[in-house]
Amino acid sequence: MTYDGLPGFLEERHAYGETTVVVERESLVDAALTCRDELGFNVLADIAAADYLGWGSKGVAGYWGTAGGRDINAPGSWGLQRTPASKPKRFSVSYHLLALRDEPSRIRLQIWCDEGEPVESVISVWPTADWHEREAWEMLGIRIESHPNLVRLLTEDDWEGHPLRKDYPLGGEPVRFSDAE
Amino acid sequence: MAVEGNGRKRLADYGLNSERLLMRRPGGVRPDPSKFEDELGDLEQKLMLTTLEKAVAWAQANSIWPDTFGLACCAMEMIAVVGSRYDIARFGAEVFRSSPRQADLLIVSGRVAHKMAAPLRQIYDQMVEPKWVMAMGACASSGGMFNNYAVLQGVDKVVPVDIYVPGCPPRPEAVLEGIVRLQEAVKAGVPPAYETRRVAS
Amino acid sequence: MAVATRDSVFAGPSVYERSRIPSPVPTMLQVDPAIREQGDVMQVNFGPNHPSTHGVLRLVIDLNGERIVGLNAVVGYLHTGFEKNMEAKTYWKAITYAPRIDYVSFQNNELVFVLAIEKLLGIDVPAKATWMRTLLCELNRLHSHLIWLGTGALELGAISMLWYCFREREAILDLFELVAGFRMHTRYFQTGGLAEDVPVGFWDECRKFADVMPARIDDYEAILDNQAIFLERTKGIGLLSADDALALGQSGPVLRASGVNWDLRKREPYLAYDELDWNVPVYTAGDVYDRYKVRLNEMRESVRIVQQCLDGMPQGPWIADDRKVVLPPRHELHTSMESLIHHFKLVTEGYRVPEGEVYVPIESPRGELGCYLVADGGPRPWRVKFRAPSYVALEATATVMTGALVADLIAIVGSLDNVMGEVDR
Repeated sequence: MTYDGLPGFLEERHAYGETTVVVERESLVDAALTCRDELGFNVLADIAAADYLGWGSKGVAGYWGTAGGRDINAPGSWGLQRTPASKPKRFSVSYHLLALRDEPSRIRLQIWCDEGEPVESVISVWPTADWHEREAWEMLGIRIESHPNLVRLLTEDDWEGHPLRKDYPLGGEPVRFSDAE
Repeated sequence: MAVEGNGRKRLADYGLNSERLLMRRPGGVRPDPSKFEDELGDLEQKLMLTTLEKAVAWAQANSIWPDTFGLACCAMEMIAVVGSRYDIARFGAEVFRSSPRQADLLIVSGRVAHKMAAPLRQIYDQMVEPKWVMAMGACASSGGMFNNYAVLQGVDKVVPVDIYVPGCPPRPEAVLEGIVRLQEAVKAGVPPAYETRRVAS
Repeated sequence: MAVATRDSVFAGPSVYERSRIPSPVPTMLQVDPAIREQGDVMQVNFGPNHPSTHGVLRLVIDLNGERIVGLNAVVGYLHTGFEKNMEAKTYWKAITYAPRIDYVSFQNNELVFVLAIEKLLGIDVPAKATWMRTLLCELNRLHSHLIWLGTGALELGAISMLWYCFREREAILDLFELVAGFRMHTRYFQTGGLAEDVPVGFWDECRKFADVMPARIDDYEAILDNQAIFLERTKGIGLLSADDALALGQSGPVLRASGVNWDLRKREPYLAYDELDWNVPVYTAGDVYDRYKVRLNEMRESVRIVQQCLDGMPQGPWIADDRKVVLPPRHELHTSMESLIHHFKLVTEGYRVPEGEVYVPIESPRGELGCYLVADGGPRPWRVKFRAPSYVALEATATVMTGALVADLIAIVGSLDNVMGEVDR
């Protein structure tokens, strides 16, 4: 079945046995309602947001160096074998939907947004989106509009920054591994 | 015994060089673990404990009641220690008290998130002296495998720790060894950590 | 059994009609202003350090006498930054982080992450590894339900259940130690199969355990099912209707106790579950007692699966043959230059997973555990997100506690079987 009838439909991808449908950010709630009411996706399994800042910037690996040279001493700096396809915007928000019925079906409804672009809350469509959206905002800074209770969930109330962003440091403290250090 | 200006005693005041009893190397020789009891016997004489102090220390050590401060995976092994195979009750820890006011030993079992550091310190403060702290597991001792923004790198940053038990999670036998060493130290007269060490900054 | 279907309750924008889900915030029960006017509402904190909240869960409750009129669950006291830490490590090392998320059913976490990596890599896992993974995951389900039953009954006052359940738990941990070398967080699942071959003595020990276990489960049922206090404290408490459960995204025993016949092992089979003969227990009342019955019967079914896995275990290799992903056998390193190079590259740089994104759901003892993995073609994951069933189960606290007494709170929180490690990740 094809999903190009969804409001704001942009693209449909099939990979690894999964279907990803990309819709426009502005038509998210309409698409969500269509999925729930007409297509039967009654359960929202997960909202997974990802930050693609720096995607594919490691360059190509092997014996080809990048323009700035290669730091062969840094672990994992060997780069990629092939530069991955570039992404339309910085953040992707994937809504993993499940049609819980005798012939189950899963779909990933995906939108893309940049820093500061608001994403409408789907809490009126699936109430379970509450904490998932709070976490997406808290960890990645994706602005969720019309969420009734958008406060920090996993980190402290006065925490600054969005930890899962790629420009947020991993943190921790340096560890002494030998007497020499 | 010499005291500091604020009345806090230091380990040297007790005649001890280090509280790492088993690591002491007289003459540069690594002591045989079976000599643990001999060393402690020696220690008792050094500290010149009175019979009453020895009796009180014996009673305190043999009835250390832990506080239910299970956080994460180590808590599962802590409950295993309570179970019938690795019975911790035979070492005197008969009941795990839920109220810190009634507990002697705070077993910090599991990773301490920064958000949890404040409740942890609050629980520690609510405990009544004498009180001991066991950092159970790698995460409580040093942050473990989680060297990141969210985990406190070692619980000794907020509370003074008496004994560290490594492992991820430590086997129940390791926890029991920690309890036993703590008991031996208490009976030997080693003061609880809050008397001898400031909390690491 | 037919799957409960969605009815017209959810047509249109308001999902809150005729449901017990509080509005406008579904996860927070807010005090009715009329009750607050009467002036006797007291706010109590079930703090993060509490013996009965199964970890560091904080519930801020408003009480009108004994009745709960307001509830807010505060989580995050165990937030460890798993997802960010896993982005910084190679896949090999990141698998080590996974079991510590849900630290009670640790091998299910390893399994979901390894399945996601294998889905992206497209490698075939040999049959023996698949069946062994099934067996270990079912032992882990037993382990998780035993801990749940022991601690849950302990909190309701049936203290002896703790000792019985933990006696069996020690037997299971002995089996894990026998097969993988460590009691918990075994790190036995590897990309492509298992880390090492199964030791010879494991089959007999596992069979001895599986022969003894059904009688023990009958013992537990005998202790609790005829106990008037237990029945009084669990029947009719913590009600959750099927529609509310689906709207709140519930899965696992919580959903099956509300009458929805949904188990991912049957509906979207993975590993060897479709080749085995077992049933899914479903109960309809949606209260704490039914969740207990579902888990108890799941334990019986798990023992059946374990016995069938032992009977039908195929022989053969325990890990895939793909040398770009799997370490070569140690003895080859002395003679083969290629093996040495592969070993070096795999250990230092790690294997590369092709670019893509996958979402792999499995049935953990708590419900649907999902792993969303985005790979960029390099040796480290770009984004890992774990969909934790306890996280979603805690979203339902406000709904199930509507109108409950404060003494029921313990029973209800216990019945949701939340593990804070996976809630906070």
